[in-house]
Amino acid sequence: MKAVGRWLAEHWITIGSPIVLLYVWEWASASGLLRAAFFPRPSTIVDHLRDLAVDGTLWGHAATTLVRIGWSFSLAAILGVAIGLAMGLWRRLREGLDPVFAVIYPIPSVLFLPLVSFLVPPGEIALVVTASVTSFFLIAFTTTHGVRQIDRLVVEAARHYGATGWRLFAAVLLPGALPFIFTGLRLGLGFALIVVVAVEIVSASRGLGALLWLSWQVLKVEDMYATFFVIALLGALLSYGLAALRARLLPWVPDAGDR
Amino acid sequence: MPTREPKVLVNEVSVTFESRGRSVVALDRISLQAHAGEFLCIVGPSGSGKSTLLRVLAGLHRQSSGDVRIQADRPGTPLTAMVFQEHALLPWRTVRDNVTFGPENRGVGRVEREARAREMLAMVGLARFAQHYPHQLSGGMKQRVGIARALANDPEVLLMDEPLAALDAQTRTIMQEELLRIWATLGKTVVYVTHSLEEALLLGDRVVLLTARPGRVSQIYPVDLGRPRGLEVRASPAYGALLETIWSRLREEVVRAIEADRGADPEAIGG
Repeated sequence: MKAVGRWLAEHWITIGSPIVLLYVWEWASASGLLRAAFFPRPSTIVDHLRDLAVDGTLWGHAATTLVRIGWSFSLAAILGVAIGLAMGLWRRLREGLDPVFAVIYPIPSVLFLPLVSFLVPPGEIALVVTASVTSFFLIAFTTTHGVRQIDRLVVEAARHYGATGWRLFAAVLLPGALPFIFTGLRLGLGFALIVVVAVEIVSASRGLGALLWLSWQVLKVEDMYATFFVIALLGALLSYGLAALRARLLPWVPDAGDR
Repeated sequence: MPTREPKVLVNEVSVTFESRGRSVVALDRISLQAHAGEFLCIVGPSGSGKSTLLRVLAGLHRQSSGDVRIQADRPGTPLTAMVFQEHALLPWRTVRDNVTFGPENRGVGRVEREARAREMLAMVGLARFAQHYPHQLSGGMKQRVGIARALANDPEVLLMDEPLAALDAQTRTIMQEELLRIWATLGKTVVYVTHSLEEALLLGDRVVLLTARPGRVSQIYPVDLGRPRGLEVRASPAYGALLETIWSRLREEVVRAIEADRGADPEAIGG
């Protein structure tokens, strides 16, 4: 109980600000300051959210989106960490790939959808591959940097104490890069969500993005907002989940371990 | 008193660095030896190559010419173990796992290496901190871990590169006493680089004075201040006299080093 009180005392502004915002919105729509047709009251949105949950529509779409995020993120994480580590370790590879990455990375991922559809079967696989592109680059970049930023003196000391080859990689270079790899994974997961939803909006009939777009097109504005809210919540949960995982797995990183 | 058997033999060692197309002589035909069980201190002005000499002994840097021989008495243990100035611990390993790192790399069994780590951590007074991570320790404690890590390898020669330079004055004084105690207990051969003459006189059996760049051996001074030695030695007249003698030589070298640095500037700009 005391701990809860202390936690609230420390975080009241974090909890309070969205609540205040919702109250202002509620009041503004109810009083007619905002047009209720486009900005329905949050309480109405919650009712619609409940309806969507009860009739099962929401869960189906959410599950579809989650599975797609899962595949995209896994693809991006495995390739991104592997290639990022390789680039961190071998200068030649880094010098060769850097310009290619620099050109491809800033292109908005959704634009890859047509291109990807030529290369892999259109539909589910194309969507997953498209959503993994930006995520892959982010993870590869941060992983490369993670390897490169390891204190040279620490590596030298490790060598002096007999760590070479595989031992040097597994006991020194990989753990040294891990904090950065986690940062990349967290960013990459966020981007996987963004692009999965974006591609669902342009090309899918199922998933939260599709539900949002469909609700908008038939002017079910409350449903649109409800879906909006679910997507935002999903993003926050995934991000915090990964942050919590990082704190558990990397107790030696000062700010992660003490929190 | 240390025995006369040479443990470390440095013969005509030179090191030349190539930087921006020019070669800089860091060490110029250094010859010295350390006897088994001796505490040998190396002092000199900045840029005299003291750390380079230690890195050559550690095998971290290859000399351009000359040879280094370290007498191996016990097969299976490494020749040298280094205590680094900036401790250089692995942040992702606990204190204990940092100390077991060397033996682990050499394939020493878990039970044996952990027993050894416990023993060494007890010796440096950190037994209770085995499960801590380096970031949870103070600077002095980190350096104790660095010392325990080196000792856990049971090296023929312990190399120390200004291990106390980054610590505050009080912690440094405590650590100097600790070092004397540990050295007296283990009887290791130590080669100790420091920029502090006072520290060298407190700890060392002999002090090797290096010249400003290029580093040469200027002179080697025996420190006949008795053992066991403690901080009270600083009050003795013999200490003051020796400090004065070596300092007057060292001072010349420091001034020379400063002038060389100043002289290098216009040359670098004007070509």
